[in-house]
Amino acid sequence: MLFRRIYQFIIVYAVFLSILLVVKKGLSLSDYVIPGLALILETAVHMSAGFFTDVMDTLSVAILGQIISIFLAFFVGILGRKSSWAGSMIRVTAYNIQAYPIVALAPIIFILLGDGFLSRLLIAAMICYFPLLLSVLGVMAAPVENIEHFYITTGRMRWQLEVKIRAFENLSKLTTVIAGSATLAMAGTIVAEFIAANAGIGYSIRIALYQSDLAAILTALFMIGIVISVYQGILETLGEMVKAKWGSENKGELL
Amino acid sequence: MKHTKILAPLLGMVVCICVAGVSDSRAEQVSLNYRLKWLFNASVAGDIFAMEKGFFTAAGLDVTVKEGSPEKDAIKELELGYADFGVASADQVIRALEKGADVVVLAQIFQTNPMQWIYRDDQIQITRLSDLQGCSLGITYGGNDETVMKTLLAKAGLTLRDVQVTGVRFDFTPFLKKQVTLWPVYRNSQGVILAEQLAREGESVRFFNPADFGVDFVANSVVTSGKMAADHPDLVRQFLAGLLDAWEAAMDPTNQEQVLAAVKKYDKGTQGEVQKAQLDATKDLVKPRPDTAVGRIRQAAWAQTEAIMLEQGMIKQPVHVTSRLRDLASFQ
Repeated sequence: MLFRRIYQFIIVYAVFLSILLVVKKGLSLSDYVIPGLALILETAVHMSAGFFTDVMDTLSVAILGQIISIFLAFFVGILGRKSSWAGSMIRVTAYNIQAYPIVALAPIIFILLGDGFLSRLLIAAMICYFPLLLSVLGVMAAPVENIEHFYITTGRMRWQLEVKIRAFENLSKLTTVIAGSATLAMAGTIVAEFIAANAGIGYSIRIALYQSDLAAILTALFMIGIVISVYQGILETLGEMVKAKWGSENKGELL
Repeated sequence: MKHTKILAPLLGMVVCICVAGVSDSRAEQVSLNYRLKWLFNASVAGDIFAMEKGFFTAAGLDVTVKEGSPEKDAIKELELGYADFGVASADQVIRALEKGADVVVLAQIFQTNPMQWIYRDDQIQITRLSDLQGCSLGITYGGNDETVMKTLLAKAGLTLRDVQVTGVRFDFTPFLKKQVTLWPVYRNSQGVILAEQLAREGESVRFFNPADFGVDFVANSVVTSGKMAADHPDLVRQFLAGLLDAWEAAMDPTNQEQVLAAVKKYDKGTQGEVQKAQLDATKDLVKPRPDTAVGRIRQAAWAQTEAIMLEQGMIKQPVHVTSRLRDLASFQ
């Protein structure tokens, strides 16, 4: 799965680059608008090492942000699963916060937390958590009647058990969403770095943009793609392991 | 009835002539796109005045003036055919030339670079470059101000290690909180707003202008493609003449009220008093002396800008930018 992710990304990147080069050739554009292959390779050789360190820096923040957003999504999802007034209030608040564009909230975040690690982490978590929340809410708000009915009629149902039943019955959906949210966490961290951080690949892309250096941006995109493919591949493999061990097809051993 | 029979064809003919006349006058007007470097505000007063007061129309041109932004690059748009003229900074021009872009400079709008550092005058006095030693200053990594500051420090025998550097972001909090002494701003836009804001708090500011210390890094200029300059010199002349006339008129104090009214139409968010102060600051940068011709291209400043970029490793080889400078006279 891991290698498939990587070569699939390389195919997509190669197609994207080929289209750019065809456009460059077709419209006779200079290296300033679209860099030629030679310039891209030269830039890649020159900048890859530095960009790799930057991407790893970004990834470390993204992973932390993703972990926080998973906890946050489950916390809000579990609290908001009931159709009570409080549950509805929590859901509305969560949706409203997401409705604000992050670039509008960013100045407040940077004033309160500065332009270092914490701001990047918070923005990564904020961008990552909403799709997770939607899935968690969807899963937690839908009763698994054929199982829950037994526990309810025997008077053994507790909220922890309800959450467990719904989570394990939808393990496949949840692991897929968690793996998919890795890209959002990465994107969130890059956005934060692009807006106002002083480290990470988003910051390096901002500098490249200031200098109209598309070759550097393409190199950065390649590094981001490779690293996120590896990370996602690892998450998917872990997801498969989790499903194999605790999935409903194994009768939900933990229950 | 008889009259109607005669009048109807006559009326028809008159209408046809009128319609044809309008169509002809429209056909004579050439449609062009002009991409600015930044948003509409008082710092592009001349460009706004040109479209509002019909300077382009008088020159027989139908020019669409488009706002710029950090993501928009006029030189790329020239090559892609999205724009016919544009505004680009000198470093963009020099980088583009190094990468084979066919771009020529038509006018240098700012005679003095608006990118300067603001500081509170009770915190530091800068009379020599060596006064910068040990002070805390903001720079935008990868931006022009980084290049300029490194050059200034080098002139004083210093490096970035001899000062405390803070990376600049989009808000001024580090400067307002006095965490940083010198903060880079555009003198005629952000500089005015910050100065007013601090004046209300009883603080007075000064601006550290690199040009005062011999670093003359060129700012925004009007550009077009080499192909346009070679194939349509008349069009370039018409456009440039209209634009420079508009800038001259916009910088004339007697037109101030009209200019401010035109700017207000496009920049609704800025208060009138601030806009007036921004316009005054822009005048000092565009027309520092009454006899300075707006748009004058200073070859020496361009040569110095290229030399600085070469020295700082921003370009790998000389691009001979001075060979790409054309002024209005070269299209007469």
